[in-house]
Formats: sequence, structure tokens, C-alpha cells
Amino acid sequence: METEIRFTHRSLVERSKSGDRTAQYQLYELYVDAMYNVSMRFLGIKEDAEDIVQDSFVDAFKNLEKFKYESTFGSWLKRIVINKSINHLKVKRIPLTTIDNHEYHLTDEVEYEKVDTINMFKVKSGIEKLPVGYRQIINLYLIEGYDHNEISDVLGITISTSKSQYHRAKKKLVEIINTL
Amino acid sequence: MDQFEKYIRDNKQVFNDHKADRAKIWAHIEPHLPTNKPKVIPLWKSPMIGKAASVLILIGIATMVNLTFFGNGNSQTNEISQELQDIDMHYKGLVTYQVQLVEKNKQLSKADKEEFLSFMVELDEEYNDLILEMHSSLDNEQVLEAIVSNYRKRIELIENLLQQLNESKIKDDHYGYIL
Repeated sequence: METEIRFTHRSLVERSKSGDRTAQYQLYELYVDAMYNVSMRFLGIKEDAEDIVQDSFVDAFKNLEKFKYESTFGSWLKRIVINKSINHLKVKRIPLTTIDNHEYHLTDEVEYEKVDTINMFKVKSGIEKLPVGYRQIINLYLIEGYDHNEISDVLGITISTSKSQYHRAKKKLVEIINTL
Repeated sequence: MDQFEKYIRDNKQVFNDHKADRAKIWAHIEPHLPTNKPKVIPLWKSPMIGKAASVLILIGIATMVNLTFFGNGNSQTNEISQELQDIDMHYKGLVTYQVQLVEKNKQLSKADKEEFLSFMVELDEEYNDLILEMHSSLDNEQVLEAIVSNYRKRIELIENLLQQLNESKIKDDHYGYIL
């Protein structure tokens, strides 16, 4: 019996690889909501997110042979969704990271932890109010759980840029939350 | 990780508040998926299989040509294997040769020859029955053995007859010599 988390839904994945439409639909059902939410967090527009999810599943099923259980199927699929979402934003020419002060690697540890009264709804609406670039990095780090290595890969930036941008984004987020 | 980050990560299910329109999205996905076909391994792409297939086709054509132009519709001989044919020919030749010897023998009266040949006709009929039997069950060893023993009987019969004739001839010669 497989106990490793990487092999979650292995039989469904294997059947989908061989073109079993029922298995493909079952996988789709299991992951569609999660993937739609990922895309919505990046894009914020229902129609755009639907397009991205649709493209991602088509790509995933067409390239399923390449999935070798190096991660879970879910995180493999999520990476596709995230890449497509970020590419979509690039095509729309929305700057992914704010261009201000890239050269300064901030070490100013502001007391932005002092948000005792935070509630998740404030956090959520605070993230939505962030500039797009900041929102990406907050999404990737805090919600998707990516580390700076992965973020640098996804966004095509250096690890140190990822770290500095994240700190700026977090500072901005706390500021916004405190005004709510 | 500070408390703020931990708090957000621990409560991130709040961010999963959207419900996808499953039917609508699937309707757009499905037409783009490859049709549900079992995987076909193209055997003809393997050079070895290709060569083997060519050889088989050549053998097939050769057999067809052979049957069409050289078979002459003689289905009986086609059905009997080459080995059986050889055996059959061997014995048939022997019998024919010896029957001719008997027929040409001047010492035998016409009545004796007819009597002898009637035996041979009986054995011929038995032989034909056995051949028919063999066509319906080629693998039957008993039938094959019966055919061979049928031939042997005929040969034996002829040999005995000829031997008797020769013996009487020798006797006669000897007798003449003594005289």
C-alpha cells in the first residue's frame, strides 16, 4: 500500500495517463476548486481565472506522461496554474514586482507584527488591495507556501529580490490592514 | 516566521472561498483532450517485425503461386505430406513392377494369373478404403500402419508366387540336369 503523499490519487493519475476519460474527470473534480481559487487569487477576475484553469487542465492531461511523482499531482498541477496565471498577467503588461528601490535590500525590521486584532477577513481584503506585484509574492509565499527559491523560479527573479520584495509587500499589507 | 505569517498560513482556507463552475469549465476542457483510445504500439515501425512480416508475405505468395499453378487441383496429393507420398510411391512402384512380372510370366496359366490378380484387386480395394480413411484422419497411426501392411501383403503375395515359380523352375532345371 502506498503511504507516501506524493502518490496521492496514483491510480486515478495512471488511468488518466492512459486516456481514461472517467478518471480524468474524477481528477478534475478533485482539484478544480482549489485550482480555481489559486488562479482567482492571482487574477481576481472570474473569466480570466476560468480560462487559466481550463488551459491548465488541458495542458496537464496532455502532458501527464511527464508527471513522475516527484511531487504530488496537486502541487504539479498548481505549478501549471500559477505559471499560466503569471504569464497571463505578463501578457496584460501588469508589472509583477514594483520597480521602486530594487537596489535596496531592506533590513529594516519594522514592527509590522503588531497586528493583534487581525482577523482573516481584514487580511483577505488587505491582500486584495495590494499592488499586483506585492500581491503575487504574498500569495506565493504565505498562501501557496512556496519558499523564496521556488518564488524566484516562478517569477524569474533572484532569491534576494524575492526576499526583499516579500518584506516590502508584508509591510505594505500590515499598513493596509491597520487602516481597515 | 512571525506570528502574523503563522496566523495567515494557519487560516489560509479562508482564501479558498470561490467555487468553480465545474460543468462550464469541463465543457471547455473535454473537446481539447485526446480521444479515449487504447495505446497502440506501432509494430510495423520495428525493423525486425517488418522483415519478418515481409518474409511471411513472400512465403504466402509462393505458396499461393505453387497451389495455383502446380497444384493442378490434385487435392489428394496436397493433403498427404511429402514423406507419406514418398512411401506411397515406393510401394506402388514395387507392386506394379511385381504385378507386371507375374503377368509376363509364361509359366503361369491364364486361370492362375486371374486368380492371383483377383487377390490383388481385393487388396487394391482395401487400399483405396484406407486412403479415404487417411484423408479424414491424417494423424491416425493405425490407418497409416494398415496402408503399409496392405502394401506388404501384396508384395509378399507376389514374392511368394514368383518364388514358387522360380523354385519349380530350379527343380525342373535340376531335374533336367540329372537326366
